[in-house]
Amino acid sequence: MAVLAARPLRPWVVAPTLPVLLAVLGGAAVVLSIFSLAISGAHLPLWPALQAAVGADNRYGPVIRNSQLPRVLLCWVVGCSLGVAGGVTQGVIRNPLASPDVIGVSKGAGVGAALLLLVLPTAPVIAIPIAAFSGGLLAFVAVYLFAYRQGASPVRLALTGIAVGAICDSIVRFLLVKWPIDINAALIWLVGSLYGRTQVDVLEVLPWMLVLTPALLFFAHRLDVLGLGDDLAIGLGEPVERTRLVTLLLAVSLASAAVAVAGAIGFVGLVAPHIARRLVGGQHLRYLPLSALVGVLLMLIADSLGRGIHPPLDVPAGLITALIGGPFFLYLLARIVR
Amino acid sequence: MASSGSAATTSDVLPARARYPAGVLVALAGTGLLLVAAFWDLAIGARPLSASQVVGGLFGHGNVLDVEIVRSIRLPRVLMAAVIGLDLAMSGVIMQGLTANPLAAPDIVGVSAGAALVVVAAATVFAQIHGTALVLLGFAGAGIAAFGVLGLAGVGQGRTSPVRMALAGVTVTAMLLAFTQALLLLHQNGTAGIFFWLVGGVNFAQWSDLLVILPWTAIGAAGAMLLAVALNILALGDDVARGVGLNVDRTRLLGVLCVVCLAGAAVAVSGPVAFIGLIVPHTTRRLVGNNHLLVIPLAGLLGATLLTFADVGARFVQFPFETPSGIVTALLGAPFFLYLARRHRASA
Repeated sequence: MAVLAARPLRPWVVAPTLPVLLAVLGGAAVVLSIFSLAISGAHLPLWPALQAAVGADNRYGPVIRNSQLPRVLLCWVVGCSLGVAGGVTQGVIRNPLASPDVIGVSKGAGVGAALLLLVLPTAPVIAIPIAAFSGGLLAFVAVYLFAYRQGASPVRLALTGIAVGAICDSIVRFLLVKWPIDINAALIWLVGSLYGRTQVDVLEVLPWMLVLTPALLFFAHRLDVLGLGDDLAIGLGEPVERTRLVTLLLAVSLASAAVAVAGAIGFVGLVAPHIARRLVGGQHLRYLPLSALVGVLLMLIADSLGRGIHPPLDVPAGLITALIGGPFFLYLLARIVR
Repeated sequence: MASSGSAATTSDVLPARARYPAGVLVALAGTGLLLVAAFWDLAIGARPLSASQVVGGLFGHGNVLDVEIVRSIRLPRVLMAAVIGLDLAMSGVIMQGLTANPLAAPDIVGVSAGAALVVVAAATVFAQIHGTALVLLGFAGAGIAAFGVLGLAGVGQGRTSPVRMALAGVTVTAMLLAFTQALLLLHQNGTAGIFFWLVGGVNFAQWSDLLVILPWTAIGAAGAMLLAVALNILALGDDVARGVGLNVDRTRLLGVLCVVCLAGAAVAVSGPVAFIGLIVPHTTRRLVGNNHLLVIPLAGLLGATLLTFADVGARFVQFPFETPSGIVTALLGAPFFLYLARRHRASA
């Protein structure tokens, strides 16, 4: 198994410094957000759309404020959450192939949401994120408890995560087959989409990101120590089990919050940390912020493409992240083996 | 247990233990259970039949309607359940043998998802495609996914870690599933129907489907039996196997071809039925030891039994409507997977 911090990481190009990278990627994300505001199934000219976004009262105002702006903001919040949660998960599991989806979080959230959508279709819409969030957290608790045997080794965490994910998958399938009434809504949620999200959703997920991201960055140095392997970390005086549990719990909450509003969007939490590490190396304090920005960019690209590619149809962002992220993952896998 | 994977030592597998008395018992018990399951599966349904009606139907006596139901609706379905169960269980045994990896199985490694993607793609693009053409496409998908994931997980370059293979397989499956869902969402004709197929089941099997899959099952099963001795040698590790003169690469290639033949055909006909390839091989090895000459045929028998029982169980989910039998194997198999994962040692 490749140990992240110990791996010599050769940057793709002559390495620009971290501030430069943050500025460039942040700038790109801002520009993309501006253009993304005007991409819609309906016709939206760019300049009036921008004016409406900053408060001008023209006829595009309602569309921009109620539909376009919340989606762009959610791309930021969800992308950042998944990027950070993915980086931390890979660091703790010490496996570059891990991600929050693998730890069973997205699938547990899927069970929560599907249970509500299919069994109680009359429940208020606001309850879906709550059900999804609890499902994600419960799945993680199950994974941790099953993996725990005189400590939860990263290998067992990964394997039990996959297994609990498989259990969640079969429960979702069972629910979908047993209550096939609203199968399309459930499928779209399970793929992950920002369609129809409003300010309420943004406000629901924003606090989680604002609290948990700095909290995880606070643990960055301890994650570096954890990356040296359990023996060395214990030798350095790190309470390995506790750090692992606390950081994973924080990362899982962050990912669950993102999945709760956006659906089970895959591959962002897997791919963003890789790109970030390749750019600035494996030190958590350096690559986690970059990973967040890469996650934002991925979400913006996926959601804009989803809206613009086949206009009346809103292709779920989760499909596009999988289409982009999947091949990239294969490329990574090929490199890791060699 | 040699099957406990990469950590198995030579003394675990040398000599390949065969418990022949246990094998005979398992064969007898398996056959008995298979007959019970098959009979039950013939009797149960929207029109429940009594034992005498089932027997009468099989031999063409009694009520014309009952004869028709038994012979042209339920019998092909029962036989198909047995054939698919056998295919998937055997392909699971071969995969675990080839990779020395307890978590290898066609659905975990992505073989089923690959076959499913190609079959769904073909069905959405060419609405009229069916039969052997679909099976051949299933082979293509299964083959690409199998060689892709196994290659990427590093099979054939020394020991592979179960974790890496499982993570690679899960992620590749997620990707292939996303492609499949993209196709479904872009061609929204009968999402529920295709979802039904994606869960996997033998509910609407017909005699023609059975004719399509039988030759491939025969080829795959024969190939698996011919490879049994080579798989026993491979269990000693690549180096020892080379030392005693086994062509390791050729064995792996032929083994993967058998898996593609068995699992690809099964998925093309009945959808990706989950976890048979994981539950059955492990249970069989527990019962009869790890000599592939014994494990391969008995796993086939037990796989057939399990899927037939699962098909019976699926009738109870929302009687009298049809439920894909893959639901039952998924609900059974996922906790089994958890048990295997938990048993895994901290090393690797």
